[in-house]
Amino acid sequence: MRWTQIIPLRVRSLFRRGAVDRELEHEMRFHIEQQTAVNIAKGMTAKDARDAAMREFGGVEQYKEECRDMRQTNWIQDFVQDVRFGTRVLLKSPAFAFVAIFTLALGIGANTAIFSVIDAELLRSLPVSDPQTLVLLEWNAKKDPNHLSSSSYGDCSHVPGAGNSNGCSLSEPLFREIQSQTNAFSNLAAFCGGGELNLSGNGTATTVDSVEYVSGNYFETLGIRPESGRLISSADDTLTASPVAVISYGYWKNQFAGSPSVIGKSITLNRVPFTIIGVAEPRFDALSPGRIIQIWMPLSAQRQLDVPWDNRDADPNYWWLVMVGRMKPGVSRSQTQAAVSAIFLNDVIHGAKPQFKAEDNPNISLVPAQAGLTGDTTDMAVPLYVMMLAVGVVLLIACANVAGLLLSRATARQKEMAVRVALGARRGRVVRQLLTESLLLSIAGGALGIFFAQWVIAAIGAFVAANQEGPSPLNPHIDSRVLLFTAGVSILTGFLFGLAPALRGASTDLTPALKEASGGTPSGRPAARWFTIRNTLVVAQVALTVVVLAGAGLLVRTLQSLRNVDPGFDTRNLVTFRIDPISAGYKKAEVDRFYDNLHDRLAAIPGVTSVSYSWVPLLSGGLWTTGFHMEGEPKDKSEEADLFPTGMDFFRTVKIPFRLGREFNSTDFQTAERNQEIEAAQEALIAASKKNGATGLAEQVNKETASMSPLPAIVNEALVRKYFPNKNPIGIRFGSRVADADEPYASPGWLIVGVVADARYDSLRREVNPTIYQPFTGRGATFTLRTAANPSNFVPQIRSVVAQIDANLPVNRIKTESQQIDSQLFAERLIARLSGFFGLLALLLACIGLYGLLAFEVARRTREIGIRMALGARAEDVLRLVVGQGLALALVGAAIGIGTALGVTRFLSSMLFGVKPADPVTFVGVALCLTFVALLACYIPARRAMRVDPMVALRYE
Amino acid sequence: MTKPTDLLQGTLDLLILKTIALEAAHGWAIAQRIRQVSNNVLQVNQGALYPALHRLEQQGWIQAEWGESENNRRAKFYALTKAGKKYLGREEANWERLSAAIGLVLKTAQG
Repeated sequence: MRWTQIIPLRVRSLFRRGAVDRELEHEMRFHIEQQTAVNIAKGMTAKDARDAAMREFGGVEQYKEECRDMRQTNWIQDFVQDVRFGTRVLLKSPAFAFVAIFTLALGIGANTAIFSVIDAELLRSLPVSDPQTLVLLEWNAKKDPNHLSSSSYGDCSHVPGAGNSNGCSLSEPLFREIQSQTNAFSNLAAFCGGGELNLSGNGTATTVDSVEYVSGNYFETLGIRPESGRLISSADDTLTASPVAVISYGYWKNQFAGSPSVIGKSITLNRVPFTIIGVAEPRFDALSPGRIIQIWMPLSAQRQLDVPWDNRDADPNYWWLVMVGRMKPGVSRSQTQAAVSAIFLNDVIHGAKPQFKAEDNPNISLVPAQAGLTGDTTDMAVPLYVMMLAVGVVLLIACANVAGLLLSRATARQKEMAVRVALGARRGRVVRQLLTESLLLSIAGGALGIFFAQWVIAAIGAFVAANQEGPSPLNPHIDSRVLLFTAGVSILTGFLFGLAPALRGASTDLTPALKEASGGTPSGRPAARWFTIRNTLVVAQVALTVVVLAGAGLLVRTLQSLRNVDPGFDTRNLVTFRIDPISAGYKKAEVDRFYDNLHDRLAAIPGVTSVSYSWVPLLSGGLWTTGFHMEGEPKDKSEEADLFPTGMDFFRTVKIPFRLGREFNSTDFQTAERNQEIEAAQEALIAASKKNGATGLAEQVNKETASMSPLPAIVNEALVRKYFPNKNPIGIRFGSRVADADEPYASPGWLIVGVVADARYDSLRREVNPTIYQPFTGRGATFTLRTAANPSNFVPQIRSVVAQIDANLPVNRIKTESQQIDSQLFAERLIARLSGFFGLLALLLACIGLYGLLAFEVARRTREIGIRMALGARAEDVLRLVVGQGLALALVGAAIGIGTALGVTRFLSSMLFGVKPADPVTFVGVALCLTFVALLACYIPARRAMRVDPMVALRYE
Repeated sequence: MTKPTDLLQGTLDLLILKTIALEAAHGWAIAQRIRQVSNNVLQVNQGALYPALHRLEQQGWIQAEWGESENNRRAKFYALTKAGKKYLGREEANWERLSAAIGLVLKTAQG
């Protein structure tokens, strides 16, 4: 009602300002003329009449202005005016504007970037409908379960250990049982990750890195819709159903060019034909954060694909499925939890092979899926939060910097403000003008910050993508909410730090400010007042910088010490690649011949000096440990060693030096082969006896084992030191085990044929454990080639050699050993780079702060310096005066910073390697670096001070 | 800046609204009428009327229209809006309550 009238009025007074003003003018003129006419009628002369009318009316211009104020659109006009004026003022001091905007941009940009990454990686809400009603089933107990095989694909964090053990891998029988026995959930789904698969039938053979096997109701439970086609249903999740697959939207776009004809297309995974039945909707790339699934298949597809552990689906002692349930409306979480726990408890205590005793208090808790499913982000969480702190500190430094700059400027402009107030400007207007200026700065800084953020995010994204197998889960884009937040922060910064100087400017006591020359006089304020806001700001900046630099220094030193770790073999000129003939359809018997053939052909490439293969590459994160029993120890005491199966010539190829004994020979491989066959027979025996409960199993197993020879082994020096000190280990047999009724597994143990020097196995961080190298037999292998020249040059030749043997066999993960190490140190490198970058940024900002302060001081004290020089001070004295102040501030800041850093860096200890949180080298380095840079920052203003001409300075203003 | 008759802002508003409640009037006429009706007691500094008119217009209590004055000159005539009528009613009631209260206080103090 009323607004329909008001709004056009406001709009009119804003945009038709001239017309409105003319009308007002007319109205007032009319009034005065009317009054004049009345006065004339009373008998006054024309002039007197008009004068009286004017007098009676009052100040025309003043009332006009008051009318304008009443229109309430003045603030917009004032604002536009302020913006224009502010821009002009800022353009008049471009150095100040540039530094302030640049500083803000760095602070805002760095924060936007890191918060965007954190938001995308850690805080993203699960891409399902109603994520808040989706729960994850997590088991808890006071100790680790017995008789358990388990697989985890890292969907949630598993904490093993006495006192409190938990995890989210559970058995398939339990899944079926909960599904059928409770109606506590409106839906319960299960899924698990899987290894890579060979894909053919769509152009050249490739590898699918990221697959997931899901229960038939998975997509229904999560509320995911198909982008195209249909998704997996319960009917697909049976052994008799024809194999089907659903692909993700990204995979569809990338590998199938988004073609609609993909629905119904047949692809071959590990030689098994699958039909693509649908594409999932774009938002759903994976349930667990930090990963991107390419293909989903029903759980039953694992048997169809003949993946290694395909018999786990019926085994209650194999825990491998992650379960997520959709809460039923109106049923409380504790009710459901109690129902599920009861089933679980019954299974794990009263099953055929109990995993727990009642006193272990095994139970299932329902955790919100959002919190429980951490996925691949678990490892990134701590580093990202550390980065978050670092950029937060950078933003603080930036704000302190801008605050200092604005304060200096306000002081310098005191006279200007005083003049304005004296000329009748209201204080409110002056404050508004100053606020507008700082707002302009922060908006410009924020805008520039977006570009900077984009650049940082793109750099992080590119770095991640370059170091990761398969699709990169990091979406390099600025999150709009984060942007809004940082924009808010930037504007708030402008207000906060603009306000203090503005209030100060506005409350200027006119007379002294006008009288005093713009610089302080030596007789006026004391020359060096230490506890000023500006000094405090600089000290705070330096201190914060030291904290960031110390942290960065420690992380960079960590990377350095990891790089300096001697892995025990020669990492130069090695190239590795993975090949899996069995997945591509080779029979087990053919594999060895295939490997021999490939070995010979690779060795024939000119420039390749040696070729071997192993189960995984060294330093790739892959680790296999084995428990074994040492003769003479109590029966239930188990020893543990690392196990590394290798092909022939492995030690010669990677250059792990021999201490004693020999390499494996072909007889060793035959022994291994034969043992494996017998073991397979044993396993079949054990599996059969589980079904029909045959007695005398242990005796039978032991009889079989007796026909096995001990496995030839090459051990490392660590193993010899631990178990056979002061003995000649060659020829010693160890680790054999006989079966008994409890544990029907037997082992012939190992026979030591050689001893090699210690070498790192899976990671540079992990100490060398006792390690057993044994002859490699089996499925997929990693070939390692030593080359005479740059190993990357051999990649095309390797590919063509493999293609000559079999064009359908994909060559995977082809990498040089240095790339292998780089990708292993991925997180450390990312963190070292980012923290180093932010450390330098902080240093730069603190420098600008220090420089700004000193430059301002020198300008303020020009007259004082002039007087000093006129009285005989030498250039060195002036230098000392300026540098002394700067250096003193820097040193105080550094001292505070080092104290703080010493307290803070211990929180980094879990990320450090080879350095202590209080590493003296780092701290001394940081202090030296800071002092040096501070000196530089002092020098420029000091030089200006030294060049002050006393005559000019004394006449100055 | 001292004003000869320092009227409370709300009072001036009330006077203006009351003045134009019967018929639309231009600024000069409003000033005249306020003076006449109050027997020259309330001397509005005439210019001060205009910011008040502007404010009332911007708040939507009154609306302005250009028309012909008595002597055939173009003048801006102000009239109450619907909302303005209600507002005036409320303000009048308020004023009466207030003046009654003040009157009461004064009497009590005397007595």
